[in-house]
Amino acid sequence: MATDPQAGKPASAEGPGEARRLGFLSGRAGWAATAVALLFFIALPAQLYGSQQRTLAAAFMFVALAQGWNLIGGFAGYPSFGNVVFFGLGGYTTAILMAKAGASFYVALPAAALVGLGFALLMGVPVLRLRGHYFAIATLGVAEGVREVVLNLDGLTGGGSGLTVPAVGIEATTSYPGNAGFYYMFLALAVLATAVVLWVSRSRFGYGLRAIAQDEDAAAAMGIDTTRAKIGAFALAGVITSLAGAMYAFQQVTIYPARLFDVQFTLLMVVMAVIGGSGTVVGPVLGALGLTFLSEYLRNNLTDYHTLVFGLIIVVAVILLPQGLVRFVREGWRTRRFSLLDNVRAYRL
Amino acid sequence: MTEFLQSTIYGLLQGGLLALVAVGFSLVWGVMNVVNLAHGTFVVLGAYVAWQLNKSAGVDPFLGMFAAAACLFVAGYAVHMLLINQVIKAPIWMTLLLTFGLELVLINAMVLVFSGDFRSINTGWAGDAIALGDVRIPYGRLAGFLVAVGLTLALVLFMSRTRLGLAIKATGMDRDAARLMGIPARRVYATTFAIAAAMAGAAGAIVGTVGTFSPASAPAFTLQSFVIAVLGGLGNMWGALAGGLVLGLVQSWGGQYLSGTLVNALAFGVLVAVLIVRPAGLIGKPYYEARVET
Amino acid sequence: MSAPALEIRGLSRRFGGLEALSEVSLSVEPGTVLGIIGPNGAGKSTLINLVTGHLKPSSGSVCVDGRDVTGQRPWVIARAGVARTFQIVKPFRELTVRDNVAIGAMYGPDGAGSVKDARRRADEVLERVGLEGRGEVPPGELSVADARRLELAKALALGPRLLLLDEVMAGLRGSEIEPALDLIRSLRDEGMTIVAVEHIVKVILSVSDEVLVLHEGRELTRGKPADVVKDERVIEAYLGQRYAKRMAEGNGDA
Repeated sequence: MATDPQAGKPASAEGPGEARRLGFLSGRAGWAATAVALLFFIALPAQLYGSQQRTLAAAFMFVALAQGWNLIGGFAGYPSFGNVVFFGLGGYTTAILMAKAGASFYVALPAAALVGLGFALLMGVPVLRLRGHYFAIATLGVAEGVREVVLNLDGLTGGGSGLTVPAVGIEATTSYPGNAGFYYMFLALAVLATAVVLWVSRSRFGYGLRAIAQDEDAAAAMGIDTTRAKIGAFALAGVITSLAGAMYAFQQVTIYPARLFDVQFTLLMVVMAVIGGSGTVVGPVLGALGLTFLSEYLRNNLTDYHTLVFGLIIVVAVILLPQGLVRFVREGWRTRRFSLLDNVRAYRL
Repeated sequence: MTEFLQSTIYGLLQGGLLALVAVGFSLVWGVMNVVNLAHGTFVVLGAYVAWQLNKSAGVDPFLGMFAAAACLFVAGYAVHMLLINQVIKAPIWMTLLLTFGLELVLINAMVLVFSGDFRSINTGWAGDAIALGDVRIPYGRLAGFLVAVGLTLALVLFMSRTRLGLAIKATGMDRDAARLMGIPARRVYATTFAIAAAMAGAAGAIVGTVGTFSPASAPAFTLQSFVIAVLGGLGNMWGALAGGLVLGLVQSWGGQYLSGTLVNALAFGVLVAVLIVRPAGLIGKPYYEARVET
Repeated sequence: MSAPALEIRGLSRRFGGLEALSEVSLSVEPGTVLGIIGPNGAGKSTLINLVTGHLKPSSGSVCVDGRDVTGQRPWVIARAGVARTFQIVKPFRELTVRDNVAIGAMYGPDGAGSVKDARRRADEVLERVGLEGRGEVPPGELSVADARRLELAKALALGPRLLLLDEVMAGLRGSEIEPALDLIRSLRDEGMTIVAVEHIVKVILSVSDEVLVLHEGRELTRGKPADVVKDERVIEAYLGQRYAKRMAEGNGDA
């Protein structure tokens, strides 16, 4: 039994009814802030260079990835370390349909979502029976294994030499959206993903997931079909992640297995969700935006050292903010006491 | 037939070395519930220590191995006390993230200090080989295998015969109960982590002798340690030895008869299948969940 | 003639070489309270886990309200009208007390449509068990007695017809036991069937219609509380001679 004082506190802040979900930005204030932010992001590209638009597009993509992870890792409490498998499958489905079947991107996109859904169901049934770190490792194993398979099916996927989507010239099946186009595409996906998480957090389904995360046996005893709930969360994560992969593949034009199934994507999405606040709605958004900008800033200003500093920041953030930024702020607001040292004391021996 | 024999011998020799690489990782995971994604970097750091000693002072890597182990022991102890211990009571994937960040830092630090070039440690004698008919057994690999197995056995003896070893096992089974009995859990954890790092460092010195290494090799060592730890059962030293040999053979035979990367797919497939069917590993005990921590 | 609320036939469960429960059969009439006593390791919690689906039987069958639920998953059995408390309480630590109970209201057989309705129902249950006004509290801040009340509230939120209580009185002070007994009696009077595993013999005596004694995984005896407590074998295996003497002298406190 945990003996530390932090263990028993509920993640949600005080407040009436559902306003609690948005923390201290409750009710109308929260919606207003969201609307303003959205308008800001919609108007923004006109003021930006192409490279800046690309950076933001990447940030939005990571918002979607982090939110996808948030559903299975944050809400259901099953930390998947293989979500990149959906990213890669979505990307390759799109690329193959566009390059080999001459399909339009807007036909390939729903196909990618279906593939993500199907694979989540296929993989979820056996793998969601495992708990904790076993689940994490199994998902990692599946992702790595699928990458190798994709690499070896070079007749279909182009293998190590990569696959190129027809994006320019007469062969192009769909006109290439360009930097601004992809900016809006990824923004839409980020908004969709966050909306899904918001809906989940307020629904009966979301409570079921939280119950499973906090005590799966008790959840089952209270009538929650844990198998169906877990698979549902995993399927949602799979669909969102594979949509992101589909868009990414189109954006990159030429894709490789090593890139589309890169474990770095998994690690980044987990870091972003966790440091922002897993199990919250806003946390992964902050985490993804914050870390993408940070990474970009470091890359531009510290070229030689940027990965090293990024790693250091992750280490420090994990130690000082283990429960994530959003919960830290909420708890601090509720108790009128912001102490990073408390966090450290909570989890150390 | 000779090819099969040759690849079998290579597989076993490499497997013994892989066991040494993985045994510390498995120990830390089994005892402390910490998955150390930076484990591979300890291996590579050990290789660099031995390489540097060899380059500057002509020290044979099999002696430099002791220095590597000692350096990594100290480093591991420090890493635990300063970093890992801060999140030890958090959910397991917090330490995963922490060690992920640490891995980024260490790999890039190594690139900055040593450059990203591939290196190897040259000895006069490692390339020479015993010949059994048409099969070659290089001295370097043979010595590496014997040392690796020897060290793993030494670890097994240490865990079962010494007070500290028992303390480590007890803390691994039930940290709170161990603390109630007067075992200083934090220091036990730090020592466990340090031992794991030291074994990895020693393995690194040998790796540097029988092959090439660079900072980029680190993640592969971590991944192989994963597979071996799962196959052999977390915290199970004998299991790590067996898992290492199995993986070594699979990689060697696979490399012989299958295209390179399909072997990896096979390895992952085996890993996932084992996890689903028998999560305690091929050798671990099925019903006994040795972890009692919440 | 309605079906028994709970009917168990030849129920057994093995763990490797250990027979935790062996060929236990019983049937419980609706609206009655069955007490289960026995030394540690007798198989009491195993029995509950087998009925609620947290363990699969090695052999035998379990029927609830005439419906065979042997080997079903826990949520299927919960939705069949069976609720339980856990011996070591298992609250959802990061949800408030109210939300803990609301989960049961959401997912039980009469699942509430919305989160708001579920919370309202949760408040009713909280009042029933004596936790009114504590809805916003995190479970970690509850006293032992209140934590037990929460555990019971979670079970009641499912609106069960069969309630399985696993040592729900353990660790309570004397003054806390009486109100708990009243609650159990009032639930029984409303038609709920209750199976209660207990170590506190006074509780068993005062609230049970029948008592089952388990020993080493088997049924030792079964009958009216007053008779069981005087049974020589029960005294030998569980109650102890000192207790029997005290009983004979007229002080029935355990």
